[in-house]
Amino acid sequence: MPLAVRRATHGLARVHEVLDSFASRDCNGEILTAVRHFPAREPQWADFPRWVRSELVTAYAAKGVSRLYTHQAAAAEAVHAGKNVVIVTPTASGKTLCYNLPVLNAVLENSDTRALYLFPTKALAQDQLAELYDLNQRLDHCFGVFTYDGDTPADARKAIREKGHVVLTNPDMLHTGILPHHTRWTRLFENLRYIVLDELHTYRGVFGSHLCNVLRRLRRIARFYGCQPQFICCSATIANPGELALRLLESEVEVLDWNGAPAAEKTFVFYNPPVVNRALGIRRSYINESARVAQEFLKHDLQTIVFSNSRLHTEILLTYLQQANPRLPGKPETVRGYRGGYLPNERGEIERGLREGKIRGVVATSALELGIDVGSLDAVVMAGYPGTIAATWQRAGRAGRRNGSSCAVLVASSALLDQFMVRHPDYFFGRTPEHAFIQPDNLEILVNHLKCAAFELPIAPAEKFGDADLPDLCARLAEAGFLYLAGENYHWTHEAYPADTISLRSVTSDNFVIIDITGQPNVIGEIDFPSALVFVHEKAIYLHGGQQYHVEHLDFKEQKAYVKRVDVDYYTDAVRYTQVRVLEVAETAPGLESEEVNEAVEVKETGPRMARPDALVSPFTSSTSFTSLTSYSCHSHGDVLLRSQVVGFKKIKFFTNETIGDGKLELPENEMHTTSYWITLRRSLLESLPFSISERQSGMFGLLHALESIATLILMCDRHDLGTAIGENPPSPQESVTLSEALHPVLQTHPRDSEFFEPNLYLYDAYPGGIGFSEPLFRAHDLLLQKTRELISSCDCEQGCPSCVGPAGDLAPRAKEAALAILGRLCA
Amino acid sequence: MAAIADKFSRLAALKSARQAIRRPDRASLRAPDQADPLGQLPGAAVAKNHFGEHLAIRNWFSTPEYVEPSRVTLSLLSHTRDESISRKTRAALNDPSKWLFLDTETTGLAGGTGTYAFLVGLGWWDAAGLQVEQFLMRDFTDEYSMLQELATRVKERPVLLTFNGKSFDWPLLENRFKMTRSLAPPKLAAHLDLLHPARALWKLRLGSVRLVELERRVLDARRLGWHREGDVESALIPQHYFDYLRGGPAEPLVGIVRHNQMDLRGLAALFGQINAMLSESPGFLEECESLDLFGLSRFLERRGETSRARSACAQALAIGLPADVRLKAQRELALLAKRHGEYERAAEIWQEMVNHCEDAVHACEQLAIYYERRARDTDRALEYAKLGLAKLVRKHARALHGLREPYREARFARQEKNFRERVARLERKALRPSFPSRHRGAPGVEEPKATRALW
Repeated sequence: MPLAVRRATHGLARVHEVLDSFASRDCNGEILTAVRHFPAREPQWADFPRWVRSELVTAYAAKGVSRLYTHQAAAAEAVHAGKNVVIVTPTASGKTLCYNLPVLNAVLENSDTRALYLFPTKALAQDQLAELYDLNQRLDHCFGVFTYDGDTPADARKAIREKGHVVLTNPDMLHTGILPHHTRWTRLFENLRYIVLDELHTYRGVFGSHLCNVLRRLRRIARFYGCQPQFICCSATIANPGELALRLLESEVEVLDWNGAPAAEKTFVFYNPPVVNRALGIRRSYINESARVAQEFLKHDLQTIVFSNSRLHTEILLTYLQQANPRLPGKPETVRGYRGGYLPNERGEIERGLREGKIRGVVATSALELGIDVGSLDAVVMAGYPGTIAATWQRAGRAGRRNGSSCAVLVASSALLDQFMVRHPDYFFGRTPEHAFIQPDNLEILVNHLKCAAFELPIAPAEKFGDADLPDLCARLAEAGFLYLAGENYHWTHEAYPADTISLRSVTSDNFVIIDITGQPNVIGEIDFPSALVFVHEKAIYLHGGQQYHVEHLDFKEQKAYVKRVDVDYYTDAVRYTQVRVLEVAETAPGLESEEVNEAVEVKETGPRMARPDALVSPFTSSTSFTSLTSYSCHSHGDVLLRSQVVGFKKIKFFTNETIGDGKLELPENEMHTTSYWITLRRSLLESLPFSISERQSGMFGLLHALESIATLILMCDRHDLGTAIGENPPSPQESVTLSEALHPVLQTHPRDSEFFEPNLYLYDAYPGGIGFSEPLFRAHDLLLQKTRELISSCDCEQGCPSCVGPAGDLAPRAKEAALAILGRLCA
Repeated sequence: MAAIADKFSRLAALKSARQAIRRPDRASLRAPDQADPLGQLPGAAVAKNHFGEHLAIRNWFSTPEYVEPSRVTLSLLSHTRDESISRKTRAALNDPSKWLFLDTETTGLAGGTGTYAFLVGLGWWDAAGLQVEQFLMRDFTDEYSMLQELATRVKERPVLLTFNGKSFDWPLLENRFKMTRSLAPPKLAAHLDLLHPARALWKLRLGSVRLVELERRVLDARRLGWHREGDVESALIPQHYFDYLRGGPAEPLVGIVRHNQMDLRGLAALFGQINAMLSESPGFLEECESLDLFGLSRFLERRGETSRARSACAQALAIGLPADVRLKAQRELALLAKRHGEYERAAEIWQEMVNHCEDAVHACEQLAIYYERRARDTDRALEYAKLGLAKLVRKHARALHGLREPYREARFARQEKNFRERVARLERKALRPSFPSRHRGAPGVEEPKATRALW
């Protein structure tokens, strides 16, 4: 693929040389699946608004900012007009000025004014602190700015509470350290005018649902002190920033989603590692390929950042690149690693080295993805798809020299989503389809925060807390001994400090601690209850930080797992039974009409199980139940009860994946009430397929595998946020027996008459109570099926591979064909 | 509806972290108009003000007896670096009629805005004995009037004496005042917290300095005039109160009121004991245990009373101390001597430490400094520096069998670097012939036992 090379500046020429070298390696166009050029964009300027105080304008001018970009001016104006705003901008477009300008102006106008900045991580707050310090110095230290987090020394805290005009913290600290001690923060709360929420897009799913409740508490406390603060939010590009902000803040928000910042010329390349075995769909290792790509940039003296998706891969890539770029005697290392777990001063040193150009390459995890300022680099290499389109753009945004050209390369792994992306570049470059969802009224989350709220202030009868039925919930909490009604108000009556036991980053807080007892007992990690059953059951091989551990004992009472370091050539996979029971159907919609409608209906009407579909959907959707009878399928969403039990495990050999042993386990059943989306495949559909029973079943499992991945793509959620199960559409309306993927071979010998097997394919929220993925998935049903079909049909493998329906060895021979045939009947 | 009930039954957030709350038996439930045993407590009456009402319980006790605080004690206890503040504080302190002992019982130890002080106990000297007044919230609605009453008492007697009140009781009460949004927290003229002096004085001997422990082993419980039999267990206090709120029995609360009274009296008695120890009362120190004397010495040293600290330390050593404490005391005494310019005396102590103790890295270092700077004996200084380094390395090697601890490693590295630098410097110095000051042996100092074999 010849590239139109424009050799203008030095750096530009080098970038294009690298691109040419990739192109020359790619003889039949299979490796570079997309090369997109983005021309440079000129800045759009605006003047400082008139109301900005002259000393602030001078301070910014001294930093080299004498004019604003149009979006910065518009944001400042909207804040000045008293509106809540959400600013949607890509990386490096000067978003911090959007909030610092109006906030500092207000502080200069009235030195009582206080502002609270929330960042999702401590590192980000530190980064912003440096920027604000710099401004403060130019303004003769007229305001106080501090970070307040777990690292803040105790003796400094008092001064911060009194003198901090701008306090930089994170949601977790606000939740456990500030709100429950609001009386110490009287100065701040009495004068709180602005709350800044940076990186708003990270507040989605569980974390977002928690944050929404923390904000409810924050507004409640502010009200107590007579304040109604204004919100300024910044978000990366996602599909629904306005909607997300509206749900989080629960009040009107103005969306500013255009950008006046300039951009340099940039090239975005999709790189698919060459195929080694076409039939099995095996490609060359994407880690090695990423190292090769990165080395090509480094060889041309282009400053490069490599992103990987795990710590382990970071270390591997770092080793490769440091070997290829040995450090010169007496000189510091030119390629460095950057990930969570590095000490703050080490990180700071790396950030500085990058800005100054002394460090030529860095291998990082997502720790560098959020707004840490390392300046702009020449090239970005992503080892593996970061999981969401938004995150991909954000990582790519790290490249972008003001003058000259820069380049971002996405090296795909063989995982399903990666392959989908590199083979459908238009989907990626077309638009951002990802939505951020939250479910703040998830009962588990809501009730937990209600406890915190009652601890902070007694709950008065007329109060509101989201849409919850407050009197009812308070009465229940009183019954459980947490609250007590005195006079009109509910007071906290428990010794515990509720915020301590509630983690914002997950739903339930009963975690198991994993203790390494090889030498001196040493806590190596934590794992939540449901995962504990799967990953640290007795005799399991638990992987942590690249090290294998054998689980010696799982103590349920103390919630501890004792492990010992081992070095074995196998890993374990838990065998799990999962049962799904539909509790309540919220909505059902029919699929495509079946061709033999009449015949099918007649058959069914004579059958003894005629009442079944009605029972399933009634009384909520009786109107649609009849039509669903005549179609091949229907899809629904609603509440389900999940029962899962780990009944055994398999030992699987590395590389060959043979099963070399198994064992039985007696573990307690785990129950979870959650929400789910599901597709019901009617008998008529299954009967119309020219496949054997086992092929059909394998097809369904393959289909579900693909559906799950595409669903995470559409929902912008983590893979662990969704669970899958296949269950029988209940013969009685109640119980639906389901078997998980790990057990599916058993299906073939299922004692039941498989004639009656009419399956539901469930995609459920993997959190108690659900966090709001099911309904959006139900709405996106058509898109989901269409994309899944595109994915499977465009895959080159013969009988399934990890990039479509799952590895061929795990499924019956014609699984891929069967999955496609089912899809063909599900969508036009 | 069944589905909803189901939903709630599954919520982890609704499950109490403790064992299921104890529901009071029907039989022990208080009838609404039945006479409350709390109201029948001696000295109890419903107190009213324009914020509402609460229960006030007032009693006079003949023990502990009033103790005239000595000036020395007061200046040691209210020690502050800022002279102007300390002068004001001392002026207020000098008038014991402005003193208020305070101790609260709370709904938890977590602090924060959701913890309530449901019982506030106050005490002040009155007619050679102690007047104790307690305010009890019979319900959360009693809080405002109780706080209002507390504010008036504090205004009358603005010098607060507490046990751990500086970091717990008083901030908690300040929170409660702020939560009302109408009552300002009263201003204190001074606040003496006896926890810190008590910890300094008795932690070494007692291990724990809980008030009950102090009562038993420092104050001589038999002579106090009250006894702790049948006392409420502190950890159960919040639950007793929650049960009471929900209509449970009032008897445990009667116990809590009594518990609080004893705590207040113990607090006042503790002040007397600290006063006796800190004032230079003749004869008192002779009766003290050696560990207490060493505690006293450390406390005095921290407050800048070095000469008194030295004599207490010397006295403690003379009586005899357990081995581990002995080393600390010797080290302290030597440093005190050094600070007073008595270098030979200090060197003697260090020498003794080197002779009689395995772990004498510190003493070696000090001796190296002494011989280099004071005795001007470079060779001897070098020997001690080398000995110290060897001991340090050996000690670290022994410690390595345990856990590798980053802090310990860092400290070791720092110490080792210091020693090596010192040795190098001394070696350079020893080679320089232009520095002939080689007069050997300060009086009474033996040859160090360092041999080549050690390194």
